[in-house]
Amino acid sequence: MELEEIIKGRRAVRKYEEKEIPFEHAKKILEAGIWAPSGSNLQSWEFVVVRDKEMIEKIKMASPGLFGNPAMLVIGCINKERAKRGGKIGYPMAMMDVAMAFQNMMLMAYSLGIGSCPVLSFNKVILKELLEIPEEVDPILIVTFGYPPFWPKPPRRRKEVIHLEKFGRAFEE
Amino acid sequence: MKNLEELLKSDEFKLLSFLITSARGCVDEPQLYGPLRLVDAAAKLIQILEKKGMATPEITKLRELIEEKEYTVMYSEEEFIAFLDELSKELAKLLKK
Ligand SMILES: Cc1cc2nc3c(=O)[nH]c(=O)nc-3n(C[C@H](O)[C@H](O)[C@H](O)COP(=O)(O)O)c2cc1C
Repeated sequence: MELEEIIKGRRAVRKYEEKEIPFEHAKKILEAGIWAPSGSNLQSWEFVVVRDKEMIEKIKMASPGLFGNPAMLVIGCINKERAKRGGKIGYPMAMMDVAMAFQNMMLMAYSLGIGSCPVLSFNKVILKELLEIPEEVDPILIVTFGYPPFWPKPPRRRKEVIHLEKFGRAFEE
Repeated sequence: MKNLEELLKSDEFKLLSFLITSARGCVDEPQLYGPLRLVDAAAKLIQILEKKGMATPEITKLRELIEEKEYTVMYSEEEFIAFLDELSKELAKLLKK
């Protein structure tokens, strides 16, 4: 698959088929994540992979923004201790790092025919309890993975957000 | 039903958990996510009625409408509000019966 096709084809998937993701593919997805760039090469991220059906069901109960029945969840976290080494900008930098890692994961997943959806609407307190995440680690984003019965239609992209040379000058007439 | 383990696995408990975590989420989230959680909870409640054999085709139609259009909240505010109006109209038809 061409890279452009992968980038444009990936969609936020909110309906999944009852089908497991082979461990080898899960590994490829996670591997793609940790090959993302990170500020000061701190790699202040932590990823908790959840494939157990019962645990997924429990996390769903604490995540109003999580739709469908995904086969796998990846919980992206910031290791605050490690992020501190980035100074005052350490934390926001780590958020960017996690986001970049997840984009890699979602694109790798799509290239394997696997759908995904980032989920910010979850209850941090409950998630930390359920997954026994230590105090110094902050879960910031869940991404769901699974096989979609269909690929949703792409939402329109704002073209006016691209500026050429100076702010306000259209990139494309 | 007095068995806690059974209760924790029930759809009613899932809805309860959804309501509490939504309440916390709504404090920080976009304003329109409040209505989204409410209609989503409505759809979950209809599912419970369906499983119990208490739903009628009219009620199922409401759930189908919610499931078809609730995600418009992420793509178009106008479309989402139009959907809420459509849902209200469908409900009005039932209330008038
Ligand atoms: C940081 C972030 C948080 C998101 N949180 C949620 C969420 O809680 N629930 C959800 O269904 N979608 C969530 N999404 C998915 C977006 O709604 C989706 O990416 C957007 O509508 C564009 O659609 P597309 O990904 O198919 O291009 C989130 C996306 C991002 C980047």
